[in-house]
Amino acid sequence: MTPGGYFFGVCAVVAVLGALATISARNPIRGAMGLLATIVGIAGMYVQLSAQFLAAIQLIVYAGAVVVLFVFVIMLLGPDAHGADGGKRPGSWARWIAAPLVSVLLLGGAVLLARVSTPQRFRAAPPGHGTIEAVGGDVFGRALVPFELSTALLIVAAVGAIAIARSRATKPSERPASVGATRRLFGGAIHPRDARTVDDEVAR
Amino acid sequence: MTNDPWLRALLEGAAVVTALMTAVAWITWLERKIAGRIQSRLGPTMVGPFGLLQPLADAVKSMQKESIVPRDADALLFWLAPPLTLALALGTAAVIPFSPGLLASDVDIGVLYALALSGLLSFPIWIAGWASNNKYSLLGGMRMVAQGISYEIPMVLSALVPVVLAGTLSMGGVVRHQAEHGWFVVSAPGVGFVAFLVFLLTALAEGNRIPFDIPEAESELVAGPTTEYTAIQWSLFAAAEYAHSLLASAIAATLFLGGWDGPVLPPAVWMVLKTGALFLLITWLRWSLLRLRSDQLMSLCWKLLVPLTLLLLLGAGTWVTLAT
Repeated sequence: MTPGGYFFGVCAVVAVLGALATISARNPIRGAMGLLATIVGIAGMYVQLSAQFLAAIQLIVYAGAVVVLFVFVIMLLGPDAHGADGGKRPGSWARWIAAPLVSVLLLGGAVLLARVSTPQRFRAAPPGHGTIEAVGGDVFGRALVPFELSTALLIVAAVGAIAIARSRATKPSERPASVGATRRLFGGAIHPRDARTVDDEVAR
Repeated sequence: MTNDPWLRALLEGAAVVTALMTAVAWITWLERKIAGRIQSRLGPTMVGPFGLLQPLADAVKSMQKESIVPRDADALLFWLAPPLTLALALGTAAVIPFSPGLLASDVDIGVLYALALSGLLSFPIWIAGWASNNKYSLLGGMRMVAQGISYEIPMVLSALVPVVLAGTLSMGGVVRHQAEHGWFVVSAPGVGFVAFLVFLLTALAEGNRIPFDIPEAESELVAGPTTEYTAIQWSLFAAAEYAHSLLASAIAATLFLGGWDGPVLPPAVWMVLKTGALFLLITWLRWSLLRLRSDQLMSLCWKLLVPLTLLLLLGAGTWVTLAT
C-alpha cells in the first residue's frame, strides 16, 4: 500500500470513529466533537482525491460554520459537563429493534440491487477536476440556476426562522426572569449585565 | 534529500515546526522586553545575558509543574484541547512562502487553507472552556467562538482582495504577482491599504489579542478559557497564541507587503524582517490599547468591517477589470 493509501485509511478510520461518536455519545457536546472529527476525516479524503478546493471549503463551511452553529444551539439548550442524566427514557427499547431492522433492510436492498444489475465503475475524473477553475466553472456556469435557487432557499429559511422567533418573543418586562440564556446555563445571573439576553439587545 | 514525497513532507514539516517553536520561545522574551520598556521596566534580566535564556527556564519550569485536571471536568476533551490548539496554529505554516524556493507546499488553494485553519482556531479554545466545567472558562469560551466566527467573515473578505488582484489563491502566486507588479499595500489605490488594515485588525481578533482579548479578560473572567489549565498544557495555549500572532503577521506580509520580495537582501531575510515588523506592531498595540466591550466588538465587526470589506472586494474587482 502506498503512503497515500495509508493517509486515506487513517482519514477513513477517523471519519467512521467520529460518526460512531456522533450517534453514540451521551453528551451532546461530545457528539458535536465526533461530528467535527468526521468532517475533518472527510476533508482529508478530499485532499487524497486531489480535490483540495473542496477540502478547504469542507473545513470552512462544515467545521467552521455548521458545527459552530450546532454548538451554539446545544449551549443555548443548556448542557453540563456530566452529560445527560442517562436515565431510561420511555421508548428507549424501540432503538434496539429499529436500528437492526433498518440495517438489515439497507443491506438487503444493496444485495438485491447488486443481484439485479451489475455495478459499474464510475468514469475516471478528468485531470484538474477538483481545482477552483473547474468548480467555479460548474457553479457559475452549468449549475448557476440551482446554485442561485439554493441561496434563495437559505435566505427564506433565515427570514422564516427570525419571524418565528420574533413573534414568540414578548416584551422583556413581561417575561419571567428565569428564561435568559445565562440563567438557564448557570441557574442564576453571574453579573447584572449578564442577565440581559440577546433578545433584549434585539428588542432595544 | 530523499525522493519519497511522503518522507520529504514529514521531514520538511518537522523542520518548519522546530524552527517555528524556537522562534515562538524567543518571541515571548521579545514581547516581555518590549512590554517592559513600554512600561518603564527592564523585562527579564536575570537568566543569561539580557535575560536571553529566560524562555528555556520557563520551559523547564512549566514541564516540571503538576498538570491538574479539575475533578468535574470532561477529562478527555480537557486533555485534547491544548495540543489541538497548537496544531491548528502551527498548521498554517505549511503554505507560507519564506523565499521563492522555501515553501513547504505551494498548493493552489494556499490562502483558503490558511483561512480555514485560522477559522477553526476558536474551536479547541472553546472546547477547553467547556471541558473545564468552570463558569468563567465557559463564558470565555463562548465569547471566543462568537468573536472568532464573527471576525472570520471580514478576515476572509479582506484576504480575498489580494487574491482578486493577483488572480490566484496560491500564496506563492500572490507573492510572484507582487514581485512583478508592486506590493498590494500600495499598488491598488487605497483598496489594498485599507484591506491590509482590516486584515491586521481581524487577525488580532482571531488571535485573541488586545484590543480584542475579551474572551480572556483577566479583570472579569480570571483567565477565560484557560483558567483551569496548569503547567505544560497552559504553556501549549500560550505557545499557540504566539504562534498564531507570528503566522498571522507572516500571512499579512505575504498577502499585502510583497512577502519575500525586496531589493539587495536575500528573500528569506526580507520575509523575516516584514513578519518581525508586523509582530512588533501587534505587540506595541497590545501594550498601548484598552480592551473593547463585547457589544462594541460586535458592532465594529458587523456594522463597519463587513460592509467595508464587501466594498473593498467590489473595488478590487473593478480595479482588475479596468486594468486589463
